[in-house]
Amino acid sequence: MNSTMNILIVEDEMLLAMDIEAMVEDSGHHVLAEATSLRDVRGLPDDLNPQLAFVDIHLADGSNGLDVCLYIRAHWPDALIVFVTANVSMIPTDFSGAHGAIAKPFSHAGVVNAINYLADGMFDPPPSIPRPASLIASPNLEPRWAQSAG
Amino acid sequence: MKQRDDWHLTDILDYEHGRGDPFAAAVRATRMPMVITDPARDDNPIVFCNVAFQELTGYSRDEIIGRNCRFLQGPETDNATVARVRKAISAGHDIDVDLLNYRKDGTTFWNALYMSPVRDKGGVIRFFFASQLDVSDRVEAHNIISDQKTLIEREVERRTGDLLAALDAKTVLLHEVDHRVKNNLTMIGSLLRLQVRTIGDPAVASKLDSMLERVDALAVVHRQLYQSSDISRFDIGSFAENLISDVVGSSGRGDITLDVRAQPLSIDSANASALGLILNEILTNAVKHAFADGRSGNLSLLVDGGDDYGTIKICDDGPGMPSTARSKSIGTSLITRLARQARAEATWSNNAPGTCVTITFPKCETKT
Repeated sequence: MNSTMNILIVEDEMLLAMDIEAMVEDSGHHVLAEATSLRDVRGLPDDLNPQLAFVDIHLADGSNGLDVCLYIRAHWPDALIVFVTANVSMIPTDFSGAHGAIAKPFSHAGVVNAINYLADGMFDPPPSIPRPASLIASPNLEPRWAQSAG
Repeated sequence: MKQRDDWHLTDILDYEHGRGDPFAAAVRATRMPMVITDPARDDNPIVFCNVAFQELTGYSRDEIIGRNCRFLQGPETDNATVARVRKAISAGHDIDVDLLNYRKDGTTFWNALYMSPVRDKGGVIRFFFASQLDVSDRVEAHNIISDQKTLIEREVERRTGDLLAALDAKTVLLHEVDHRVKNNLTMIGSLLRLQVRTIGDPAVASKLDSMLERVDALAVVHRQLYQSSDISRFDIGSFAENLISDVVGSSGRGDITLDVRAQPLSIDSANASALGLILNEILTNAVKHAFADGRSGNLSLLVDGGDDYGTIKICDDGPGMPSTARSKSIGTSLITRLARQARAEATWSNNAPGTCVTITFPKCETKT
């Protein structure tokens, strides 16, 4: 079974993008592309089809992750979307359709556990391991597992 | 008609004060200004006034008798109040109002007017009786208070505006600082992680990893604090529960089973970082040493709260660590020193097999 996720990282802080990229690859997954703004994301090829996107809320060029989230849902509807942000309180209650959030400052364990949980859920839904505390679930996460399983 | 004429009798006879009809004499001599009007006559004129009324208004009796009371009104007199008096008279009610009146010399005074009808046995209104009181002092005091109240309210409003603006500025500043703390903590972790990946020497990499775990533990403490509604307390119970699953989960060690019995337990948030670091040392040490070389086993966490003190007990069933080796590690020294800072106590005991570490610490003083 192929258990490598193709992941998009949308983060304007280069250090953090590099760090997340390293954690993704150490966990055996693949970083498809990195973007720092909504404009970057719009410039990505239409057939990118990421399975998971980590999206910061505060992005370059005054753009924000909520708009990026809407763009991803419109273009790659199958992607899981997880906000990675220090402003969890700025996320609307419906998460703009995203599936979860990881609060900054994140820990290595927190991000890696979240990746493992999401991969488990993606390839064999629903996930067999409990959701780590580092991953804040949105109202859209459980329905997603039910939908994928069905 | 006899009773009615008695009023005039006292007027005409000009008794000295205190002689003759005692009621009439009292009215004539009282310091309370009083008048009587006769509604049966055209325009309800004044038919009696006492000395006090003459003194209050500055008019002599000749100038008063035969005139309607309205001769005391002037340009500043409130028409609505006058209308209320008129209405009461035509309805035959008594009335009590404050009215601005004018003296003969043109000066004004606030007149607390009380006017009531005097009825005969058949219920017909024969007279109106009115008493006046100069309440200028009271009204002025009231006006001054009212003016001052307006001034103070305006001042309070201004100061409140200033304070709100200052609060807004502080809130913006606080958010900015908070944001920077979060970002810097995140970046410190990221920098260390990126550095670890470039180090070939496993011993150095392992030390740097320990450092990273400590920074991560601090980051988790900070995150839990800023996400909680009460910044003054910290739930060390939930923190311990999350940390143990984080640490074991990220070690990729599926062969370590967890036995967690935790409950929410509040501590003073000033001690959150110290106790958070202590728990991190104990848990990471257990994973590294008790379950070294792929040795499987069980790790347990027990969070228990007494009245004043909480305890967290972490036990492994590994081979146990000789106390000499323990005393040399930076981990043990960190635990001992940080415990002292947080007024906590760390004790090691034999789990046969394995090791138990028990942390006893003061709970948050204010109860939820």
